[in-house]
Amino acid sequence: MSSESSGSSSHKLALTFSSLLVRLWLGTRALQTGIEKYAGSKASGGLVTIDGTPNEYGLTAAGATKQYGMEFYHGVPQALMSKFQAEPLMFKWALPLYDKMLGPVFILLGITILLGIANRISLFLLGLLYISLTWGLILIKQDEGVSWLGIHMILVVMGLAMAEYNRFAVLKKW
Amino acid sequence: MTPPDSFINRRDFLSKTLATAGAGLVMGAPSILRAANTAEGEQVKVALVGMGKQGRVLFESMCNIPGVHFQAVCDIWEYNRKGGVAKVRALQGHTPKGYADIDEMLATEKGLDAVVISTPDFWHAPHTVKCLEAGLHVYCEKMMSNTIEGARTMVHAMDKSGKLCQIGHQRRSNPRYRFVHDQLINSNKICGQIVNLNAQWNRAVNSSQDIGYNKKLLIEDEILNKYGYADMNQFMNWRTFRDLSGGPISDLGAHQIDIFNWFMGVPPKSVFASGGNDYFTEREHFDNVMAIFDYDTPQGGVRAFYQVLTTTSAGGGFWESFMGTQGNIKISEIASNTKIYREDSAPSWDSLVDRGILKKGIAPAPPPPSADAVASYASAAPEIFELPGGFNKPAHQPHLENFFATVRGKAKLNCDARHAFESEAPIFWVNPSALQRQPIQFTAEHLAV
Repeated sequence: MSSESSGSSSHKLALTFSSLLVRLWLGTRALQTGIEKYAGSKASGGLVTIDGTPNEYGLTAAGATKQYGMEFYHGVPQALMSKFQAEPLMFKWALPLYDKMLGPVFILLGITILLGIANRISLFLLGLLYISLTWGLILIKQDEGVSWLGIHMILVVMGLAMAEYNRFAVLKKW
Repeated sequence: MTPPDSFINRRDFLSKTLATAGAGLVMGAPSILRAANTAEGEQVKVALVGMGKQGRVLFESMCNIPGVHFQAVCDIWEYNRKGGVAKVRALQGHTPKGYADIDEMLATEKGLDAVVISTPDFWHAPHTVKCLEAGLHVYCEKMMSNTIEGARTMVHAMDKSGKLCQIGHQRRSNPRYRFVHDQLINSNKICGQIVNLNAQWNRAVNSSQDIGYNKKLLIEDEILNKYGYADMNQFMNWRTFRDLSGGPISDLGAHQIDIFNWFMGVPPKSVFASGGNDYFTEREHFDNVMAIFDYDTPQGGVRAFYQVLTTTSAGGGFWESFMGTQGNIKISEIASNTKIYREDSAPSWDSLVDRGILKKGIAPAPPPPSADAVASYASAAPEIFELPGGFNKPAHQPHLENFFATVRGKAKLNCDARHAFESEAPIFWVNPSALQRQPIQFTAEHLAV
């Protein structure tokens, strides 16, 4: 084996690992972001007991525990939702739909990217999702969030650029 | 100082003594209220009147209460109105009808059970009276009105209509405050003889600035004038105008002076106040106000000092302190600001801890000896305790829950208009005392409904 082909092979291995790492990062990020949409908190403590019986005032032990469940679902955070609703350029009719879809879409794309199912299309759709979020944040002047999403977009583009080195994929087509 | 002429003809109230005026406060609980006509399990149909900042706070609190259906939204500002409609639609998937005018809403909407009013103070009385006369139960934000006469009309309308009228002194339903009132002060008397009350709401200059507005969202002058505002600035900053509000002493102070009066169980016998425009020199209302109330309570005389400063946050924000010979309860709507101190000479509170009434707190490390202080002048450090628990809800939710439970006939109002009036009446006399730089000795004319 010549040193040239050996170098090329090493380079390909590095690109394969790079592609895998970007895929794992983006997939994990999307999947857990979607799951977190179903997270909420419940008061951890029950009613405080006074003289051995639960108090009648509703005083509870301090603290809350994080829990997951459908009842906690919140696609767009409530604090941002009201700001979006007040934006004249926002498509008001689309907001409830977007709110309902956001969590499931993140989870779906997270799974497809992690498993390597139609990697290019999955990454492209994830990029579009981040663009939609970016547009919303631009409207309400959340510049830090826009920058944050910009970093995500760079990673999505890197993932797409290295798609030919993608390995360990369930469905390599598309 | 004598009351204004408008009160002189209230001779029928002169026969009432101050003790009578405070009877409700002495009892400490609202009178028995009318049975509600909303069946258990049915949704309570609500109209939201006023969807500004406070209206949104109340809405967010009501979102967590089951069985409440928002049927209509009313606000003269299209921006608030549309925002309110969108919030309701997002919550319940139903688009409520939006109204700019409350009269149109009351004439059009059928089947309403209740209204939640969070309009500027000078609209509270007219809106509440209209809604009670229309047969609706009312939850209205405090201060009841910008004038004592307006507040009186609310009590009379409540009595005449037989409907419920809860005033938004939300601490009255706060589990921590109710626990302190019932268990610590009245039942177990941990403070000993209460000799002094102290409270403050100090707000930084940055948080007290005029509210700006987007020029694209201006309300037409014709509409502003129709609803009592000279211009958009007055609409946005009504709290700073004398004809529209009572200023900081009623906007912020009313919550805490209400706690003084509720916990003491009697109205104060006098007030002496001072105020000034120390920083916001162009404002109609004082930016800093201090008031001293004197109480004659069954346990003895009590002096209460209250200050509201809109020019500095120094002193730890907002809290109320009940100081006694054996202990001090410092309580705040912010749970972490609440602490209870046992005087070194007081009997042990260990049995209260064993029963679960108090929790031992963590005492800070003692300061090192200081050469510039005479140790013998200082009292022994008090022992620190805490409340046994808290609650995990928005601050206004318990008070709204109490209102809706009463609408359903399952509770009594914690702060109906009559009890709110008894507590608020002394507050109306703080600004006059400060303006005239004279103490006011309360008579029935000052405090009676």
